[in-house]
Amino acid sequence: MGTNQKASVVIVDDEEMVITSVRAYLQLETEFEIHGFTEPEPAVKHMESHLVDIAVSDYLMPRMSGIQFLTRAKQIQPEASRVLLTGHADKQSAIQAINEVGLYQYVEKPWENAQLLLIIQNGIERSKLLRELREKVSELDTAHSSLKNVQKRLLQAFL
Amino acid sequence: MSQPDPGEVANELALVRAKLDKLSAHLAEEHKMAELGRLLAGIVHEINSPIGSIVSNNQVIIRSLEMLKSALSVGDRAALEKAARQVETCLSLAAIDKIACERISEVVRGLKTFVRADSVELRKADLNQQIASTLKLTHGQFKGRITVETDFGELPPVECHASMLGQVFLNILVNAGQAIEGPGKITVRTRPDGGAVHISIADTGAGIKPEDRPRVFAGGFTTKPVGVGTGLGLSLSKRIVEETHGGSIDFESEVGVGTTFHIRIPVEQKKKAAG
Repeated sequence: MGTNQKASVVIVDDEEMVITSVRAYLQLETEFEIHGFTEPEPAVKHMESHLVDIAVSDYLMPRMSGIQFLTRAKQIQPEASRVLLTGHADKQSAIQAINEVGLYQYVEKPWENAQLLLIIQNGIERSKLLRELREKVSELDTAHSSLKNVQKRLLQAFL
Repeated sequence: MSQPDPGEVANELALVRAKLDKLSAHLAEEHKMAELGRLLAGIVHEINSPIGSIVSNNQVIIRSLEMLKSALSVGDRAALEKAARQVETCLSLAAIDKIACERISEVVRGLKTFVRADSVELRKADLNQQIASTLKLTHGQFKGRITVETDFGELPPVECHASMLGQVFLNILVNAGQAIEGPGKITVRTRPDGGAVHISIADTGAGIKPEDRPRVFAGGFTTKPVGVGTGLGLSLSKRIVEETHGGSIDFESEVGVGTTFHIRIPVEQKKKAAG
């Protein structure tokens, strides 16, 4: 089932230390391919040309907020799961994000490694399933239209 | 009806005055607490990332050390090579931990200068440093929205109640941040100025309306919504700067352009005996 390609994780946080720590942990525990960015813009660029399974983003960043970034991510790759990792103390930002971006999950800093890992693993599985579903649907579509063709030809042959 | 006794009236007045003094000291303390409470959200944000990093790194380092231990006992080449890579990771994580701990320490140090009870005591202080630690506290609040530029001149040590002046800087910085809607800039500049130091804090905010200007330093005056401002910050600041330190505080403002506050603090305090 599915492709054997390594799962791809994008992490965006303006604090390098967060990226380094999460990357070290994920590298220890998983085989994921991890792409860390301290600014949202290059992360957007990356997502335009690479398949991504899950995007984890900080909330407060200079120039582009995590919500804006995840909105862009959704436009580029709707099937990639979106996670907000934030140290912002108010719940308002979380609610806004969930409503606007259709977040997969919301994680508060300081984060719990095991919890974050579980969320990322599930998020990856979710996006893979969504992608597979889309492929199956389009396969069905093609099958359906070719069946229709056959039917048409059959009808023509009989009439 | 009998005439009031002048002596009694004087006594009563003295009592009322003492009560008022106590009340205003109490109000000042409450204001400080309210201000700190508001800052707390920003401070929490400021230390959440380093704490998250440290906790995560610690787990990775422990796991790596365990792997290293078993690799050493097994002793085969592949295991040792993998272990060597883990050591590299651990070293970089330890370096991150150091930065993270420094970040947390800085925030805590900044907080300490505010809650220090020794504010009664006059001592020589580096006001640039005081401003820098105040900025550490507001960083979380401003982050992502406001850029802060500092232009610190070389200042002589200033004899002052440093934590009280820290409150003044905090008040003005928080006001500046609130005056800015959306993205903006705050510029903090310090310069020696004769026998004083001159601190200016400029924002690119909404500016103060001309009709509001005469009341800016009046206690209880605020244009902020309930729960955001106590209306005490600037009146307290004026008292701290002028009455406690014999300095001056004033501002210039243009609606739609911004406001600049100027604070001057004498380098040395006049001896009490002379006054």
